[in-house]
Amino acid sequence: MTQSVKNKNFSTSGLTKSKNRFVSQIVIPLLIYNSLGIFILGWAFILMFYNYSPGRLGGPILGLGGSNPFIGLGNFSEMFQGISVKSRLFLVSLKNTLVFAFAVLPLNLVLTLTLAYLLEEIGSKFKALYRAIYFLPVLMSSVGVAIIWLSMYDPQAGWINAIVRFFGGQPVAWLSDPRAGFLGVSVALWAVILAYLWQDYGYNMVIFIAALQSIPQDLKDAALIDGATPWQTFRLITIQLIKPTFLFVSVMTMLSSFQVFDIIQVMTNGGPGNKTQVLMLDIYKNAFRYQNMGWAAAESFVLFLIIMAITLFQMRVLRTDWEY
Amino acid sequence: MTAMNDSKKIALPSQKKSSGFEEKRKILFLILLTVGLVATLLPFIFMVLTAFKTNTETLRVPPTFFPQNPTLDNFKKIFSDPNLPLLRFYGNSLFVAGFNVTMTLLTSSLLGYLFAKFEFKGKRILFGWFLVMMMIPSHITMIPSYLILAKIGLINSLWGLIIFSAVDAFGIFMIRQFCETFPNDLLDAGRIDGASEWQIYWRLVIPQLGAPMATLGLLSFMGNWNAYLWPMIVLQKNEVRTLPIILTWFNSTHTGQGGLIAAATVLIVLPVLFVLVFFQRWIVKGFVTSGLK
Repeated sequence: MTQSVKNKNFSTSGLTKSKNRFVSQIVIPLLIYNSLGIFILGWAFILMFYNYSPGRLGGPILGLGGSNPFIGLGNFSEMFQGISVKSRLFLVSLKNTLVFAFAVLPLNLVLTLTLAYLLEEIGSKFKALYRAIYFLPVLMSSVGVAIIWLSMYDPQAGWINAIVRFFGGQPVAWLSDPRAGFLGVSVALWAVILAYLWQDYGYNMVIFIAALQSIPQDLKDAALIDGATPWQTFRLITIQLIKPTFLFVSVMTMLSSFQVFDIIQVMTNGGPGNKTQVLMLDIYKNAFRYQNMGWAAAESFVLFLIIMAITLFQMRVLRTDWEY
Repeated sequence: MTAMNDSKKIALPSQKKSSGFEEKRKILFLILLTVGLVATLLPFIFMVLTAFKTNTETLRVPPTFFPQNPTLDNFKKIFSDPNLPLLRFYGNSLFVAGFNVTMTLLTSSLLGYLFAKFEFKGKRILFGWFLVMMMIPSHITMIPSYLILAKIGLINSLWGLIIFSAVDAFGIFMIRQFCETFPNDLLDAGRIDGASEWQIYWRLVIPQLGAPMATLGLLSFMGNWNAYLWPMIVLQKNEVRTLPIILTWFNSTHTGQGGLIAAATVLIVLPVLFVLVFFQRWIVKGFVTSGLK
């Protein structure tokens, strides 16, 4: 008896030892790698309190200090006073980003939920094919999408203007006319919004399809037996039951549209007259073209705060307390 | 069970009474969906057709749909352009994507398994760290990462796209979730048979992870292949650039030559798009289950 207990103890301690060795063999290199991450985060955090440009010779530690002086919250106060050129550009970018995100969100949700619903309802052999084609732009590089839409929007030879002419309208310089506007938003921004929607809707659509498929058929049948119309069933049952997905999808859409970069950089690079300048583009230009890295780090932090705020807000508003 | 479902469906009053209405509704839906389908496909078709047009034809107003004198000149020009060695750029993209996918798969499977099946000091803190990393957008870390690369001389090197991408928080979460369903008995059986912990990971755990690893690998490949902002910052010389950056460079240096740009887009974007379409089912699955994008 004692013998076997001893043996057992011996073997488990041997096991724990080899387990511990395994853990430490993974965790120690990981900690070294993660300390690089912490270093980067810390650096990003410190940078926003400096007037830092990598071209200038600064102090001994990370080039901070000296001709890259510490200015405390100087970047932030300058940003929101809106007097200097770069702070005015920041405010314009902030506004454009907000317009972009709040235009994309409802358009995207209505489009994707409708398509997902229709696709679920036809329930035929077409379904797989349709879904596959709708999903194509999601798989494509956003640069490819941007270049396709550049040629679509071409003022002379583009297809959009060909359609406009066909219906007797005046051709529009979609991406280069700073004065043209619609609903108080410049036409160029609408044009990139449309291209962005085209690229992105397949993603939310497949997620909605998965959510719709998970709704028990019994519930819909019960509603139909009680004499509900399809629209009532959709509004009162489907919409209610996919609320968690709705939350998830709207958060993801908001987050990605607040960080939109590729498609706008290629299509307009912020033009015409900064009408499509969004925050990511402003951050990129300040950091890597004008070498205003302290300023860009401060802008990044503002964007980060917005993203966090939206996430928390949406989680509160769309929270559901029950399951099915 | 299916028989029961069927009989229930037949018994439904609304479907029995108004099957004509149902039919019409379905046809209406199908028409709406087809409109969306055409809107999705047409831009692709325009691009492909434009690639076969002569340059004068691409400037015509209104634009022609089918090329009037279909020509391969655009493609020939691209293949003979010494500034556009496509194979080299494919190689660059493939190198970065291949390396990063392999690293992501290795670290995600190892760490996911570790977090699911092992107890150790500081596990919660370490796990929390990855949660935080998942919430930090890349634009926050972009500037210091660039400064580090500049310091160690990795600007204009493909390694610059690799050294910060070894660990992927999403991948760890995904694999961890999967590993938690493993029976501990299986792993213990391996231990009793005298396998070392690394052997257990390699011989028992990895073979079970086929499905999530395939999904993770595909998503990671897609992300790397289509990456734009970070490669654009790091790679400032043409010969080291990856495909998306080359495509924008080509686009901005050939303005007004629509046919040429379309042909370049076809050559750079479409081949891998076709490959990804083939794997679409797994990619969709990954999107739906992980919310990774």
